[in-house]
Amino acid sequence: MRTVRLYLRLLGAHFRSLMEYETDFLILAVATVLMQVVNIVFLAALFKTVPAINGWTFWSVLMMFGAVALAEGVGSLFFDGMWQLAWHINRGQLDYYLVRPYPVALQSSSAAIGINGLSNVIMGSLMIGAGLTHVDIAWTPWRVLLGVVLLISSIVIKLSINLATNAVSFWLASPTPLFAFAMHQVGDLARFPLSVYPMALKAVLGMALPFAFISFFPVAYLLETGQSAWLGLLTPLVAAYCAGAAALIFKRGLRRYESAGN
Amino acid sequence: MKGYRALTRATARAALTYRFNLLLGLGAVLVQLVALLAVWRVILGQSSVNGFTWPQMRAYLLVAFAAGTVVSVLGDFRMAFRILDGDVALDLVKPIDYQKARLAEAIGGLWIEVILIAVVVGAALVIGGGVDVPAGPALALFAVSMLLLVPLKFLIVYVSTLACFWTQNYTGVQWARLAVVNLLSGALIPLVYLPGWLAAVAQWSPFAGLTSTPALIFLGQVDPLHGLTLVAVQLGWVVVLWFGARLVWRAALRRLTVNGG
Repeated sequence: MRTVRLYLRLLGAHFRSLMEYETDFLILAVATVLMQVVNIVFLAALFKTVPAINGWTFWSVLMMFGAVALAEGVGSLFFDGMWQLAWHINRGQLDYYLVRPYPVALQSSSAAIGINGLSNVIMGSLMIGAGLTHVDIAWTPWRVLLGVVLLISSIVIKLSINLATNAVSFWLASPTPLFAFAMHQVGDLARFPLSVYPMALKAVLGMALPFAFISFFPVAYLLETGQSAWLGLLTPLVAAYCAGAAALIFKRGLRRYESAGN
Repeated sequence: MKGYRALTRATARAALTYRFNLLLGLGAVLVQLVALLAVWRVILGQSSVNGFTWPQMRAYLLVAFAAGTVVSVLGDFRMAFRILDGDVALDLVKPIDYQKARLAEAIGGLWIEVILIAVVVGAALVIGGGVDVPAGPALALFAVSMLLLVPLKFLIVYVSTLACFWTQNYTGVQWARLAVVNLLSGALIPLVYLPGWLAAVAQWSPFAGLTSTPALIFLGQVDPLHGLTLVAVQLGWVVVLWFGARLVWRAALRRLTVNGG
């Protein structure tokens, strides 16, 4: 509990400094909304040409786009500091974190707040919501519960991949998280049904970097579409695996950390 | 002129220093290329839609990739940082024109972008087979259109970067620009697929010249006269934006505050 309270206070400090620049805050928020609107216009135009792609309708793909946006949004809004890890390692600034009685990973992830995440959380939720009202799901209490578990798992997977790929900076020692950014961009592939991709890409997105479990598999399971819909049930397991792996990579990396000396 | 050539050469030599931004910009366009290729292959696998067959759409997306990579990465963030830091003051005391100097730098970065395009398009052609190359006159018009793309894209990036004189938040401006350009240039989806009114707006906007115009000419989807009109529109926007940018620059300079040195 104390961990969560302190985390919110750390974030709160950054939020207040952010509010000092009101116009900048608005520009970023509006730009992020605009990006999602462009995505929606693109999907609408795409699905005017065909009713479905490999059995996936506009609304189901919209939900996948929404899931990616939501997971990204939570990452930016609450854990944006991870993206500064590379810089902190490179400058030897992690010393401050190491002497404070609070988990280093959490201090790092609370070191910034990305207000673009707020737009993405809202837009992603709207896209998932719009999709859910237009698809045919027989809702039972069990299914609602499962839906919530899938959603949380999907967000955990995204956060874990963010942490793990950023922790790679402990080995690369570059001041910019190029590797993490590249992987983040690869994640955009998972906004489309996995079945459109060739085998090699399916393997990458389904296993090596399980981005498909953020969007495609949970949606496939809920809508019971596609040949491997049951795989969506594995999402919580994948989330646990990713979180464990990320924690391990971070811990290993931290042991390699060398201070710049003061 | 000599000063500008020196700037071009200096940027050309320093281009590899900015490989982080280079790869970042390339990654986004590349991921989009892979995703769109996969999706359209499925959609157009059975029948053509809106006059696009699968081989044509593939060629369209490859041209869109090339157009999206040209002048994409080297200029804007450096100019933005210099404005935000106040280093722009040093640019102002140099006896050369600011706008021309930035164009010279953008041209200096071209070589590395052309290499990246050659590698990616080459790989795509090897994996998926060749594409139909248009006949002589159309090919010449395509080349002209691609050449006009350089100043056109530079000017759109340049004008949007001048927003840094008014806001600290360059990222937001950049994201908004990327989103608008992606949709209205036809890079995300050919303009004919958009709703009629939006397609009409996009068609006459400066953005169409960034992807749609060269791609349609390459595919032979427009007759020669229409193709010439599209290229003329491209040229018109280059002229309008060139002088428009000067007005924005004049207004921007009045906003500039540099705190000591």
